[in-house]
Amino acid sequence: METMRLYLRVMKLSILQQVTYRTALLAGLATNFFFGLLRAAVLLALFQVQPVVNGMTQAEGLTFVAFSQALIAFLFIFGTYDVMNTVYTGSIGADLARPMDLFFYWMARDFGASLVNLVIRGVVLVAVFSVFYPVVMPATIGQWGVGLVSLLLGWGVNYAFRFLVNLTAFWTPDARGIGRAAYTMLMMFSGFLMPMRLYPDWFSRLVALTPFPSTFNTPMEIFMGLLKGPEVIPALITQVGWLVALWLLARVVLRRGLSKLVIQGG
Amino acid sequence: MTAIISVRDLRKTFRVLVRRPGLGGSIANLFAPHYRSVQAVEGVSFSLQAGELVGYLGPNGAGKSTTIKVLTGLLVPTGGEVRVDGQVPWEKRERYVKGIGVVFGNRPTLWWDLPVIDSLELLQPMYDIPAERFRYNLVEFKRMLELDEFINTPVRSLSLGQRMRADLCAALLHEPKLLFLDEPTIGLDVVAKEQIRRFVLDINHRRGVTVLLTTHDLTDVERLCERVMILDHGKLLYDGTLAALNGRFESAWTLKVDFEEEYPDVSVAGLPAPQRVGRQALYLFNHRELNTAELVQQLMARFQVVDLEVRRPPLEETIRRIYAEQLLTK
Amino acid sequence: MLRNLGMYFRLVGCDLRSQMTFRLSFWIDLFSTMAVNASMFASLYLVLERFGNIGGWGLGELAFLYGLAETSFGLMDMIFSGFDYDYFSTLVREGRLDQILLRPVPPAVQVMGHRFVLRRVGRILQGAAVLILSFFLVDMFWTPLKVAFLPVVLASQVVAMGALFIAGSTLTIWTIQRVEAINILTYGGVELMSYPASIYPRALRAIFTYILPFFFLSYYPALFFLDKTDPLGLPVWPPFLAPMVAGGMLWLALRFWKFGLKHYQSTGS
Ligand SMILES: Nc1ncnc2c1ncn2[C@@H]1O[C@H](COP(=O)(O)OP(=O)(O)OP(=O)(O)O)[C@@H](O)[C@H]1O
Ligand SMILES: [Mg+2]
Repeated sequence: METMRLYLRVMKLSILQQVTYRTALLAGLATNFFFGLLRAAVLLALFQVQPVVNGMTQAEGLTFVAFSQALIAFLFIFGTYDVMNTVYTGSIGADLARPMDLFFYWMARDFGASLVNLVIRGVVLVAVFSVFYPVVMPATIGQWGVGLVSLLLGWGVNYAFRFLVNLTAFWTPDARGIGRAAYTMLMMFSGFLMPMRLYPDWFSRLVALTPFPSTFNTPMEIFMGLLKGPEVIPALITQVGWLVALWLLARVVLRRGLSKLVIQGG
Repeated sequence: MTAIISVRDLRKTFRVLVRRPGLGGSIANLFAPHYRSVQAVEGVSFSLQAGELVGYLGPNGAGKSTTIKVLTGLLVPTGGEVRVDGQVPWEKRERYVKGIGVVFGNRPTLWWDLPVIDSLELLQPMYDIPAERFRYNLVEFKRMLELDEFINTPVRSLSLGQRMRADLCAALLHEPKLLFLDEPTIGLDVVAKEQIRRFVLDINHRRGVTVLLTTHDLTDVERLCERVMILDHGKLLYDGTLAALNGRFESAWTLKVDFEEEYPDVSVAGLPAPQRVGRQALYLFNHRELNTAELVQQLMARFQVVDLEVRRPPLEETIRRIYAEQLLTK
Repeated sequence: MLRNLGMYFRLVGCDLRSQMTFRLSFWIDLFSTMAVNASMFASLYLVLERFGNIGGWGLGELAFLYGLAETSFGLMDMIFSGFDYDYFSTLVREGRLDQILLRPVPPAVQVMGHRFVLRRVGRILQGAAVLILSFFLVDMFWTPLKVAFLPVVLASQVVAMGALFIAGSTLTIWTIQRVEAINILTYGGVELMSYPASIYPRALRAIFTYILPFFFLSYYPALFFLDKTDPLGLPVWPPFLAPMVAGGMLWLALRFWKFGLKHYQSTGS
């Protein structure tokens, strides 16, 4: 309970800090929106060829674009390099001296920033976007609820993956380069660039074997009702499965990394 | 003789964005930014003759660096006239800077990632220095500043003192007529400071380079400058010789005297009663009213004196009083 | 002029030497950059497998637009690395712009020579590969004019986007912090140039034709190279405006740059 409060404090601090970057927030919003317009144009042109593709309508495609632009900041689509930076600068020492678990400490920090980004960049962007293009919203309260749960699970999977990428800094001085490649995979296979449904079937089936669709594509499909009824259950289970698996992996890797850090320091 | 630097009524006002607190404030900042003016330099006039070595003093925030930045062409002033060696610094800056050397003590001027020698050699084509002059100067400066021990080390891994020596060398390789030094001894140890001072003196004496120097280390001033200018809150308060400044503002000198025996009364008319410890007495006297010789004569006439020691207050003390008690503004 | 060019190459040489000291990370960076950009094209390729075309442009034609824009952006990003506003704003913040202004070489030359990020080669190679691939995909009908004009278009794109980098950096002289909204013009510009103008809504098309004339740098020249006709029925000359547009943008950017330097406030000590 005590530690829980600690993490909430961290999260609150992170929220306050994020709010101070307001100019960046607004500029980020404008940039996301502009790219949203460009991507919407591409998608519209695609759907001109074929009105319904693999069960997805033009409106749903546009919604996908709106949300992917809206959630860039919430999901840190372009990746984060904070933890590896603390490894390289040595300030990780100070973080380790705190009575907190590194995984949850950074989770609290990231989540605080994400919440701010969700409200300021996400909600506003979807609202503005819906002025220009149709945006499909869930039909029932239930669908809203499940969609949100799925989004949070997606955030967790995404966080665990980013944390793991950052941990490579314990082993190599080139974690940034590794990160850039890893986050590219995240961007492409999560459905951020294009909804997975629009890719050829063989490709989406292959990607479905990775944790990446769980971060963004799955929440979106549930949210828009592309997955409904009994299809939702296995999707959620897959998300939880990846979350637990990556979290456990992160724990093991972190322990290994830290022991290495100590040996080096001695 | 005409002045090499002449500054008339120089003014520089900075506009600083005032950040309003809070979320509402930040949105207001974005759409209706609110500026505050900072008058860094307010109507400063002075001139320097070729070959002078002048100290430019003043407390933090007085406007010294701002003046130097205007004189080196980095800043365009808000008002006033500046002529340096017949040119207006900020107008044809690229041509102008060929004739000056500049060292800012708090920031490196050489290429961060390059070994010192590469960085220095880059300057030859950059300033079109004739090859043999370049070689000659490099050899001489290397010797005087003892650069050899670190000449192949990248600039980023130099110690502060080493970096300053390299920066000084870089500032002079193209044989400028003028050298601007903004706190060149900041953060250096005693030995390094002395080395820098000797070098600056030598450059000034033997090469006739005109030097304008800001510093907070008054030993620099005592060792280097005959003339000083004092600036505070953007206004020039004093411009004259160091000796005259001392003459006007120096606080009491002290004379320590060891007597043969413990005399009951050793006070001198017109002076406050001396502090006494056994046979020793400590007199405070105003050097402008009573000179040391007279005081000593008086004492020798009345008492058996074993030993004498005269102490002048350090310049530091004088300047501190000028700043703190605002002696010059009154 | 010649002297400045010499100085530029000398400075770049120095920067390259210091980059070469970190060899392994250089290769990792190079390949990751290549992967990042290649994935964008892969995504397009995969989607086209389902749809066939975008606004009537097939894979080969899109590859031409995309490859051209990527190659030139990569080149620009390498040559104008010093004017990358993220980097340039640190020069301003840390007062290193002072050092540049104290040297008797035009500041723009020094800023460009200050940094030459070699790993951008990854993006260039990737873009060039797609571009060359597109020649075969569309079975390009080469004429001497096309052969001569291709490098001109490429250079025009490099110069035009470099001009945006310069303008974006100049803004940071006032703001000190980087101005993120400028990304709309730079990164947005490449994205925009990678697709045919005809797919965009009318307002966007007007802005990027008449105000910020990006389409003269990519879309119209592409029509000429691919022997396509413009749905809007355009006269023959627009494709050849590219160098004029780029030159104009560079001229404006340099004027702005000079203006910015005059207003440079340095940083307090
Ligand atoms: N770039 C700038 N923008 C805004 N204000 C500035 C800037 N540079 C200096 N100032 C302000 O102008 C005034 C004079 O500063 P300046 O750096 O010239 O002082 P200084 O005499 O060199 O002080 P120090 O001894 O601390 O170096 C100060 O109030 C400072 O805050
Ligand atoms: Mg100063």
